[in-house]
Amino acid sequence: MKRKLLKSLIAALSVMLSALPLKAQSETLLGTVKDANGVPIIGAYVIDSANSTNGAITNLDGEFSLKINLNGTITVSCLGYMDAKYDLSGRSSIDIVLLEDTTMLEETVVIGYGSVKKSDLTGAVASVNSKVLSDKATSNVGQILQGRMSGVYIVDSGNPQSDVSIKIRGLGTVNNSNPLIVIDGVPMVNMSLNNLNSNDIESVDILKDASATAIYGARGANGVVIVTTKRGTNADGTLNFATNLGVDTATSMPELLNASEYASLNNDMMLNSSNAPNPDWTNPASLGEGTNWLKAMIHPAFFQNYNLSYYGGNDKNQYYVSGSYTDHDGIVNSVAYKKLTFQINLDNQVKEWIKFSTNLTCSYDNKTNGDYSMSAVLKSVPALSIYREDGTYNGPTANSLWFGDQQNQVGKSTVNKNQVQGYNLLLSEGIELFLCKGLKFKSVESVGATLVESESFRPAYNWTPDPLLESERWAQYSRNMSFLADNYFTYDGTFGSHSITAMAGSSLQWGNNFYFNGQKKGFLSDTASQFNNGINIESLNGTRSDWAIASFMARVNYTYLDRYMFTATFRADGSSKFGPNSRWGYFPSFAGAWRLSEEPWFPKNKTITYLKIRVGYGVTGNQEIGDYTFASVYNTGQYSFNGNVVQSLVANKLSNPNIRWEEVEQYNVGFDLSLFNSRLRVSLDGYIKNTNGMLVKMVVPISTGYSDIDVPYINEGKIKNTGLELSLGSDNIISKEFYWGSSFVISFNKNEIKSLSTADAINYNDSGFGQYFCTNMVGEPIGAFIGWKTNGLFQTNNDVESYATQVGAAAGDIKFKDVKPDGVIDEKDRTILGYPQPIFTASFGNDLHYKNFDIELYFQGVYGNKIFNVTAVDMTSMNTVCNQYATVKNRWTGEGSSNSMPRAVYGDPNNNTRPSDRYIEDGSYLRLKSLTFGYTLPSHMSNAIKMSSARVYFNSGNLFTLTNYSGFDPEVGNSSIDWGTYPVTRTFSFGLNIKF
Amino acid sequence: MKHKHIKHILILVSALLFVCGCNDFLDKVPYDSIGTSSTLSEKDAVSLVNAAYQPLQWPKLYNMRIWSTDVVAGESVVGAGGGTDGIETVQLSNFTADPSNAAATDIWRSTPGILRSNLALSELKKTNIDEALKLRLMAECHFLRAHYHFILVRFFGDIPLRTEPIFAGDELNIARTPKEKVYQTIIEDCQAAIEGLPYKAQYSSTEVGRACKEAAECMLAKVYLTLGNNYDKVVDLCQNIENQGYDLSKMAYADNWYNPETGVLNQNGPESLFEIQYTGDPAACTNWLSDNDNQSQWLNCFMAPRNSNMVGGGGYGWQHVSKEFVSQYEPGDLRKDVTIFYEGCPDFGDIEYDPNWSTTGHNVRKWCVPISLCDKVSNCPANIVVYRFADVLLMKAEALNELRKTEEAQIPLNKVRSRAGLPACELTDYSEMKEKIIHERRMELAFEGHRWFDLIRIDGGDYAVSFLKSIGKNNVTKERLLYPVPQVEIDSNPLFVQNPGY
Repeated sequence: MKRKLLKSLIAALSVMLSALPLKAQSETLLGTVKDANGVPIIGAYVIDSANSTNGAITNLDGEFSLKINLNGTITVSCLGYMDAKYDLSGRSSIDIVLLEDTTMLEETVVIGYGSVKKSDLTGAVASVNSKVLSDKATSNVGQILQGRMSGVYIVDSGNPQSDVSIKIRGLGTVNNSNPLIVIDGVPMVNMSLNNLNSNDIESVDILKDASATAIYGARGANGVVIVTTKRGTNADGTLNFATNLGVDTATSMPELLNASEYASLNNDMMLNSSNAPNPDWTNPASLGEGTNWLKAMIHPAFFQNYNLSYYGGNDKNQYYVSGSYTDHDGIVNSVAYKKLTFQINLDNQVKEWIKFSTNLTCSYDNKTNGDYSMSAVLKSVPALSIYREDGTYNGPTANSLWFGDQQNQVGKSTVNKNQVQGYNLLLSEGIELFLCKGLKFKSVESVGATLVESESFRPAYNWTPDPLLESERWAQYSRNMSFLADNYFTYDGTFGSHSITAMAGSSLQWGNNFYFNGQKKGFLSDTASQFNNGINIESLNGTRSDWAIASFMARVNYTYLDRYMFTATFRADGSSKFGPNSRWGYFPSFAGAWRLSEEPWFPKNKTITYLKIRVGYGVTGNQEIGDYTFASVYNTGQYSFNGNVVQSLVANKLSNPNIRWEEVEQYNVGFDLSLFNSRLRVSLDGYIKNTNGMLVKMVVPISTGYSDIDVPYINEGKIKNTGLELSLGSDNIISKEFYWGSSFVISFNKNEIKSLSTADAINYNDSGFGQYFCTNMVGEPIGAFIGWKTNGLFQTNNDVESYATQVGAAAGDIKFKDVKPDGVIDEKDRTILGYPQPIFTASFGNDLHYKNFDIELYFQGVYGNKIFNVTAVDMTSMNTVCNQYATVKNRWTGEGSSNSMPRAVYGDPNNNTRPSDRYIEDGSYLRLKSLTFGYTLPSHMSNAIKMSSARVYFNSGNLFTLTNYSGFDPEVGNSSIDWGTYPVTRTFSFGLNIKF
Repeated sequence: MKHKHIKHILILVSALLFVCGCNDFLDKVPYDSIGTSSTLSEKDAVSLVNAAYQPLQWPKLYNMRIWSTDVVAGESVVGAGGGTDGIETVQLSNFTADPSNAAATDIWRSTPGILRSNLALSELKKTNIDEALKLRLMAECHFLRAHYHFILVRFFGDIPLRTEPIFAGDELNIARTPKEKVYQTIIEDCQAAIEGLPYKAQYSSTEVGRACKEAAECMLAKVYLTLGNNYDKVVDLCQNIENQGYDLSKMAYADNWYNPETGVLNQNGPESLFEIQYTGDPAACTNWLSDNDNQSQWLNCFMAPRNSNMVGGGGYGWQHVSKEFVSQYEPGDLRKDVTIFYEGCPDFGDIEYDPNWSTTGHNVRKWCVPISLCDKVSNCPANIVVYRFADVLLMKAEALNELRKTEEAQIPLNKVRSRAGLPACELTDYSEMKEKIIHERRMELAFEGHRWFDLIRIDGGDYAVSFLKSIGKNNVTKERLLYPVPQVEIDSNPLFVQNPGY
């Protein structure tokens, strides 16, 4: 930002200077100065090395002319770029490329209640700037950030309506492990990243280690994502218009049975379970292909993004205003997403001693879809047509043992209408008072409102199963408010070789949530179907809740001789979420850094130009456990006697009056290194993150009579995360017309549960047949998969007899391993089958420029995680009446016919579908996440059409993916469970970005 | 410069003001619940007892899992949708269930009924409400606690016995109590309930449906029959009930449910002793299928033939009545038309029964209510009958026969047979009479969730094993007459051990 300001200033100067006659020299050198992207650098100094008073400044097109001895040397410098020296060797013209000064000495990093020069940073912070965030096919910030920063694991759901999931440095807790999101200094409670327009974002700084996050105390344990929006500049106004238009398609489609294969399977299932097969299906081949429900539900979808912004200002007042519109249809029938955003940022230095900063973020989004479920689409029976002969939707009418009971997903997604409209408003006013030299007082007042209107309307329909006799409307209105009042002092001072930045103050944040919903039925028509038009109230519910956090915080940054840096922070947080017995938490942190490369003894050469070592320790907390969990209460309910409704008072949930935040202690060691004249930048961090007093669900046996599901939290768990993060940046080739730069990021994290509320494992997640396949077990990572190991199939009934006792088994069923060798296959034989967390996540980005063309190739991948394919449990079960994956064609049909895919038998007496290694798949993948090919109009051409710049580009997202995973896509979500979720998409888009 | 100093002070003061009173600022309490430490009013006390009734109406008990035992008993097979719905019942009925069985887990999750009874009892002891009301409410709690324990002990054998509420900080784990001890507590609770409860007729019309003395007597009689002792007490208890003026000859069989002849949906009718109450109010729950506390009875839609559109929700046809069961009807049994659908049976409303709706050609009719009374799956107001007078008569007959007063046993038995339009039974042989009474219970109480409990109590389970084998259920063993203790309990409560055979 600062750089841009200076650049514009210098540009103005240079225009004036260029008019001045330069001191006469023997010969004239003509040249241009450009950056690695080929963009002219305005206001660069070109100095005669022999005579520092002889120089020139580049003009708007980066051109200069200098009278100089052509056998001399010149030095070219510009703020933000590294100096370059050139021997002229008799040349009279020269094209100079300046490299950005990537030690980024002047780059600042936002660290919460202040910012710090990157070179003075003591903690582990990853940053992404606006360059990465702009010109993408999506306005979803999270999707763009995926893989860009080490230690930050982002999983995309594919659905344009959804937010991505962000995890920083592994799962620190079995509970809410989402990082705190801070937008322009305001910690978010309800708003998500997706409510912003990525083009409005100047930078995203992610605080990873506790020495950095401790300033957010009881909310810092999962890391902090600090988003800073763009602000006005001290320059003439700029008008920027950006758009892209594109199409989404499915990355891959699983292969399903066609109608004849389905009928043949159903016949087998019926015969093997002594049920009658369908007499019409004696010749299954006659059914042919039948209906492909998946193809009927998934189709290419279009999207468009438009963004208009203008910004500028003078030295006292600056403005940034933008608006955007996104219209993104889903590839699944009926899914659509629309978003409008509006941003106004103002800075006004009203008096010398007071400055106001105003931020206004408004967004509206509209998510519409019909009723559908991807797993129900997969399960739909191909022997049924979508429509009846009269054009109405079809459904199973005959024997459900043959036709199943799947509702018509094409019909339900088409006729049922669901809509969620979100209105987000975030207004914050910052007041800075300049009290005396170095001392500032800052007060930030903010109000955030999130209003969500959800509604669904289902018109009456008569197709089976479960026809809807009367149309019904459901609607919910929810409103979440949050308020913030921060007050803090900041002091900056330098005393000889000592410099100090100190901050101290308080923060209050509070809010309330309110919702109600209702349902009515009995509408005269589908058009006049508002609540006013319905007759019967089906339901009316709602409630409200309050929360508050009060905090004190302080931080001191001390630097000695520009090379020894020390940071200490402290925060005290009181939260309404915790019981009166332990309401306040205290969170200290310390960090130090040493810039070895600044030491006098450090060799001054171009091999190592920068080296800094960082060490940090801190304690943070996680308070996200819901409101009022400490309170022991009766809820109300109802019963009736003889038709008369009576109230009831219910004790449903055990309470824990001692509940408090969970505490994360983190150690971090890292170094930053620049090599070969800063052409290779390396950052390596190692950490140990210990979560103590993790809030684990108390184990409440059902026999207590209290809910075993809605249970209190207790501070008994311990988790350890250890990890290593490496990021590399390099300028591989720099020449006059060609540039190639790369980035490589790799993050390793190991997660281990050290202790839980009981010695026993906690199993959860039902795969659909009443059996749990996830476990939290001491010594294993969070959410490890548990189940039986398969051991081939029983080929004959003699095999069954001679094997360990396995209830219900017959020839063709799966043999399960007798892991606990007691001759019986039972619950005790369950064992750990795999881990959902990847061993590492990585990305590899490449920026190439040739003349005015640019290419970005961005690969991203994960390695070593296992996916539990719940969809495959249903889709290869052959025990219920629904369509199946084509792999069941290889099922066991007699001795020797298969040793992996069991027989088809309705009811599954052997329980072949129990959680087992059948459903564990390798989740590793490598994908070309983003490929962009762009062209920037040469400035003389864009200037000719009154533009300051113009760029067109083509982008493809997820162009290809290398994976062994058999489902839609290996990106199934953070817990690595494929519930039959929305498929990740492949994107092709075309974009245009013009500036005036 | 001076004004700047003033500014400093102002700012410091305002910053301090911001943080004053922080603790009030942080005190937030829920709006939609009542703190447990509040003093209870009379209304609160009644509401605590009302809460103890609620788990009875959950799908975990009478709304689904209790009637599903008729499938396990072999009266029918799971029709369901051919989907995974009902697979736990299929596995139970094949005697291949494992400890993760969802039906077993559901039934186990009825323990909140015991906690709520215990909690209400202990809170009632502390309150100063009207003494007569207090005694009645406490007797209701004893009734309910006995009823929940009686259900669990028959499904699982030794169960955790709790007679005091537990609170935060108490030991949560509990070992299994031998079933003899559990039965002792059930008997004591029944006796306390009989002592403190009014007769059904003494309740006002808005309170009918609360536990009454006759219901407690009926339950105790059933407990004794289950234990196979105290037959003389069974006779006395049944006689006490009969003495309240119950006369089967004045009660139509169909009047226990929706009677198509009168077009009336009968609730808490003259024959009824205890019913699970429903209002069919869809507003009482947010999610009909997953919410425990919905006020809609499920049997209606679950029984009606699948996709027949006979009832609201279309019908799920979950029980396809076995041909073996149908073959047991004596000619002329008037109960057949009320109980089941068969080819050529009377139409339901104007809908003719199509035997292709069922894999066996039969469905359960007893619980079906026409669309005119409830048009959706989630708004059926029909109660579920738990105890009714015909059951009492058959228990009396059984006890008399066990006392070898076989001829005396003919009297109550024939009251039931006579209403069913069947000739009087004149058997005098103990064994033949025993078989006849078992048969009569099966036909009279068909699809009301009694058969399984009858099967497993007679002859200590031997009867069940031989009967089930006779209808082709070859996996059955005596150990499998108990359900598995849910794996979630075993996983969470280290003091617990699994039932043998699982």
